[in-house]
Amino acid sequence: MEKLVPITRLGKFFGGEDYTLDIGMGEEWLLGDMNFTIILYRIDRYKTKTDDVYGEVLEDGIQFLAPVELKGLVQIMAPSNKNLGNSKVAQNEPGNMKFSIYQKTLEDLQVNVFVGDYIGYYETEDRVRYYTVIDDGLVKSDNKHTYGGYKPFYRTVTATWVSENEFRGI
Amino acid sequence: MAFPKQVKPTLPLVPKKTLHARREQLLEYINKDGTYLPKSVLHADLDRGMLDFVKEDLKVVTAGKIVPMVDIIITTQNWSQYVETALFVDLDYNPTPPFITVVRSPEVKYGTNPSLQYTIPNRKQFYYASVPTWNGNEQGMDIYTIPQPVPVDINYSVKIICNRMRELNQLNKIVMQKFSSRQAYTFIKGQYVPIVMNNVSDESQMTLESRKYYIQSYDFTMLGYLIDEEEFEVKPAIQRVTQLFELDTRVLNKKRKQFPENPDEIVNNFLFVVGNTTLVDVIDYTANMVLVGTENIASYDVYINNDYYGSDVNLIQITTNDTLRIQAFKNDYSYEAKIIFDSKLV
Repeated sequence: MEKLVPITRLGKFFGGEDYTLDIGMGEEWLLGDMNFTIILYRIDRYKTKTDDVYGEVLEDGIQFLAPVELKGLVQIMAPSNKNLGNSKVAQNEPGNMKFSIYQKTLEDLQVNVFVGDYIGYYETEDRVRYYTVIDDGLVKSDNKHTYGGYKPFYRTVTATWVSENEFRGI
Repeated sequence: MAFPKQVKPTLPLVPKKTLHARREQLLEYINKDGTYLPKSVLHADLDRGMLDFVKEDLKVVTAGKIVPMVDIIITTQNWSQYVETALFVDLDYNPTPPFITVVRSPEVKYGTNPSLQYTIPNRKQFYYASVPTWNGNEQGMDIYTIPQPVPVDINYSVKIICNRMRELNQLNKIVMQKFSSRQAYTFIKGQYVPIVMNNVSDESQMTLESRKYYIQSYDFTMLGYLIDEEEFEVKPAIQRVTQLFELDTRVLNKKRKQFPENPDEIVNNFLFVVGNTTLVDVIDYTANMVLVGTENIASYDVYINNDYYGSDVNLIQITTNDTLRIQAFKNDYSYEAKIIFDSKLV
């Protein structure tokens, strides 16, 4: 049986009930009022066919788990206008996405996010932009993510845009 | 416990092949499981060869455990590293030291393998093998040709990430022993490809305010070469063909020889009957007429085409269609007389 140790820090003015209440209120605001929705396309890493030298996906070899709708806080960074390396080919590159989600939401859905998964986000009714996760935010031990040091309660996932020749939904 | 040095842990039951037999064995490796031609050796094969070399030849064992290796060249799809490192990650899915990884420099330069440099231009095809064929009716040969392989240099860094000096020492010992002659070989599709060690550098993280760990990087250059199956050529050569001839087996009479053969010497006999002292003849050939003898002749004059040629001459040079006239003076005009010439054709 897993050994559980009660969290008693901040106990004089904060505890498990307060934590649950605050998370609940936060969810009401985030999921009810804000209602930012993304679609998470998770790669099935064990069914995806890769080559044995580079681990790259073979032609039509990528396999996905069922897509999941996730609600969280979406922040899109400003685009940047720059050349592609030294190629002198300029492009207006969309900014990264930062997506913050309650850990409770992920646990309720029994979903985890890993580097390499894809995210679809509808910017308008007919325009969806796809991103790939470059930082899955698994390490959430810092004060910002632990409700003042009490317990980790949300994750920040960073994703960068992908062109349509890499991914365009399933 | 180490074995005493005089004890051999294993005995070779099959003697190693040498000289011609060894070369035949190498050729068998190259042709194994395929056609008579060698198999392609391209970038991915060379990379796989390097990974296998690190995995097998640079295997590090410390405290009874094999130091795991990330068995792929990590590319832009770096999520795949999680599959490779799944067995040695912590709760945050970070790989746990010690482990070994191989980094390839993406750029591949023209090779420095001395046996292949700029020796043969224009991808000329060279004979590789003659292979017998049989189509059910005819026996033949196919000629297999291949171009000279293209040399390439690929740079790799083999990095060990660990927390203990003894793990560094163990890898260093293995590398130094393996590369004591500067180069070692990996075996790729039946072919030995040399790897040269360039440098060893330390990238350890030793700052006070962060996690401390060792990273040592061994830089190697693989002196590889590219063989592309697409460039091979197979052409039909000679085919064995049965040709049938019908011969007339009847015995034929031998053709009779013409006789006499065309002579190259003719005897000219000039006969002066009684009452005749002049003979005229048109000569049908070019010849040297040599006097053989005379009978009842005191002297004679020779005219060719009515031109005086000489008296009592022993040699007359005459050409075709000349008119030869001989006027004889007899010793006794009551008898006939003769002048005999031997004409030799010229």
